[in-house]
Amino acid sequence: MDRPRAVLAAVALGAALALPFAGGPFWTGLVTQMYIFGLLALSVDLLLGQAGLFSLTHASFFAVSAYTVAILQVRYGVPTMLAAPAGILAGTLLALVFGLAVRTRGVYFILITIAFGYVVWGVAHRWSSFTGGDNGVTNVPFPALGGFAITSHTQYYYVVLAAVILCGLGYRLLIRSPFGLGLRGIKASETRMQSLGYRTSLHLYAAFALSGALASFAGVLYVYYNKFVNPVAASFPVSVEAALMAIVGGTGTIVGPFIGAGVVLGLRNWVSSFVEMHHAIMGVVFIATVLWAPQGLVGLAGRLRARFSGKDHG
Amino acid sequence: MTSAILQAINGVSLAALLFLLASGFTLSFGLMRVVNMAHGAYYLLGGYIGLTIAERTGSFALALAGGGAAIVVLGYLIDRFLIRRTGENHLAQVLLTVGVAFVLGDVALQFWGGDNLMVPAPPFLKGAVVLPGDIYYPKYRFVLIFLGVAVGALLWLLYKKTQLGAVVRAGVDDREQVNATGINVDRLFVMVSALASFLAGLAGVAGGAFLTLYPGAEWEILVYALVVVIVGGLGSLEGAMIGALIVGLLDAYGRWLLPEFSYFVLFGPIALLMLFRPRGLFGREY
Amino acid sequence: MAEKAIEADNVAKLFGGLAAVNGVSLAVAAGERRVLIGPNGAGKTTLFHCITGTLRPTSGRVALFGRDVTHDPEHRRTALGMGRTFQITNVFPELTLLENLALAIVGTDRRKWVMHRPVEAFGEVRRQALAGLEAVGLAGRADWLVKLVSYGERRQLELALALNTHPKVLFLDEPCAGLSPSERQRISKMIAALPRDITLVMIEHDMDVALGLADRVTVLHQGQVILEGTPDEVRANPEVREVYFGHG
Repeated sequence: MDRPRAVLAAVALGAALALPFAGGPFWTGLVTQMYIFGLLALSVDLLLGQAGLFSLTHASFFAVSAYTVAILQVRYGVPTMLAAPAGILAGTLLALVFGLAVRTRGVYFILITIAFGYVVWGVAHRWSSFTGGDNGVTNVPFPALGGFAITSHTQYYYVVLAAVILCGLGYRLLIRSPFGLGLRGIKASETRMQSLGYRTSLHLYAAFALSGALASFAGVLYVYYNKFVNPVAASFPVSVEAALMAIVGGTGTIVGPFIGAGVVLGLRNWVSSFVEMHHAIMGVVFIATVLWAPQGLVGLAGRLRARFSGKDHG
Repeated sequence: MTSAILQAINGVSLAALLFLLASGFTLSFGLMRVVNMAHGAYYLLGGYIGLTIAERTGSFALALAGGGAAIVVLGYLIDRFLIRRTGENHLAQVLLTVGVAFVLGDVALQFWGGDNLMVPAPPFLKGAVVLPGDIYYPKYRFVLIFLGVAVGALLWLLYKKTQLGAVVRAGVDDREQVNATGINVDRLFVMVSALASFLAGLAGVAGGAFLTLYPGAEWEILVYALVVVIVGGLGSLEGAMIGALIVGLLDAYGRWLLPEFSYFVLFGPIALLMLFRPRGLFGREY
Repeated sequence: MAEKAIEADNVAKLFGGLAAVNGVSLAVAAGERRVLIGPNGAGKTTLFHCITGTLRPTSGRVALFGRDVTHDPEHRRTALGMGRTFQITNVFPELTLLENLALAIVGTDRRKWVMHRPVEAFGEVRRQALAGLEAVGLAGRADWLVKLVSYGERRQLELALALNTHPKVLFLDEPCAGLSPSERQRISKMIAALPRDITLVMIEHDMDVALGLADRVTVLHQGQVILEGTPDEVRANPEVREVYFGHG
């Protein structure tokens, strides 16, 4: 990592660690959300930015794992040590099923993921005897591992921060590995990859499963933060916003999705304090991003940096 | 008359409505490679506008025409100033049109509020029909079926039997071909797009007289239309017809037999298709 | 008689009603240099696609060293030893040249599934990739993004990619397309210098290059083979002249 980047990272880490004390409960809560949704956006970007697949169903894995944790802990008294992994497992299993979608590409893939996402939302909504219908599942406690129990939002903030940093490091390894390079190859030219010996659908399936697992993990973090879950967590807007966050922040990067989450959540928070129409505002952000900033903020920053340093190299 | 047959009629009436929406969507894609996720919002807005027209003028026919026409104008503006800028980038189209749908949804909410509203239809269309076995069945469902069949027949004739249709079909097959024949491709696109918009608005008014209009309806109907298009195959009119029937019937039977799992029932065919025919029944490689 | 490296048996490919390839049979011996020539639209690239697996033939059979591969997907054929270049350059623009080659090198082995170690940690892959770039004269550009190098250099990369999938049979589709005369020279020299344990099947428009490199020539016209023979035989044949040069 070069010097300016290292300095930036250190400053960011310092700020993150100091936040609960500097910002109080409001900011602690908001930034925790940014981490969680940033992670969801990152999972979408594993497919979008790395492999070139635009999935609009990731809220499904997010919600399924959240519901699994909630139902296990609240209704059956299962401890965190079992409930959390069960949540991740449930979401990942769903991803293995939905991964069938990689038998298609392009528009078909997008539409199929949308339809899949709706199935999950519909089930959460209609199977009220199990999911609680529109009311969802409430009173989810803070996580407790062994003797160690989280008792405040501030403590949970640090748990989430640590989780996100770990995921980020793991993600970094993944995208720099031969497998990650393979995904980028598929994104650039699937036909070429096939003629180089790659079974591209299998690669994409594996990526889909990994991405689903990451989204599921975000769902677990979410339900312990939010303390309840309802069908909205599985809804189409959540999936679309996750994609938007990745794009606004900058796809193909690791920090981009988190920056995007910050922008989107921050904007929504700010705007909803004086205007009711937050869906419309989101809509305008989508439109503006597509028309004027398709590379997102990280892309813009990159272009500015290149212009200032005079290089246009790599 | 057994419940099974009643459910079948339910399914076919939903199919008629879905066909109105899906046919425009699929033809837009087939010819112009445009994915317009605001189609559901067109349905809702068309319905609301038709509602207002019906309330002010007392004419259902005017509401149908007006709802459709209003969306033609709206659709044209969105196409010309927004969608055009995305070229053939489907990801951008999806995001952009979802954004448009979000905006339209909130605008509708501002003007028509959040309650369930129903488009007032003339009494001779509402009420019940008595079917064999002394069963009372909503007449309007037959009206929907009639509308769907009429539009379907008209589209079929236009598509298969006219010059214009031949050009559109050629365009769906190969756009360079159409360009080469010297036909004004731009105008063709505008016409097909206008037709799609009109059908969406019309569907909103027709559907709104029976299914009610409310915030969120635009997404629910869109997803159904998407499943129709996936099952039937993008770009295919026959696909839209058969897909609509399959989805409509599955939905009706699903709700009847497994109400809590009815969405699973929709999922089934898509999953099967993914395994055996990813491009849909009549779809092609894009 | 030694088994043929490549055998195509009555291969046909129809698009709708149009037969792009209309019953082509050919057999290439191991180590041979075979060149396919023919006017535009003769079906040469389509034939290539059918043999390498990019397209499924409508009918016919393809065999690689005696093994029937007609129904094998493309990646399988590559694993069995078929390599190819594309007529329209098909490389990875957003990656560096080194990364392009790394993909080719691990494409046919298990290392492509490693998810927990960075590519840089595979010293052997890097070494091979650099050697592969060296062989086509691109070692100096190893860390450049492909989209920033010239067309000629991309054509060289195209060749390097195919060479690094450890092919036993190499299919080159107009390797010199769009190149300047000096670039053409360089590429033809590279191709001529390839070891004889690689069988070569090449589509080429430039007659001098084609007839200079070939052991045998197959002439295609309207999806069918009209002549097969040595370069001299082909050069002298009046029908070929008519079909190929007759259009000036």
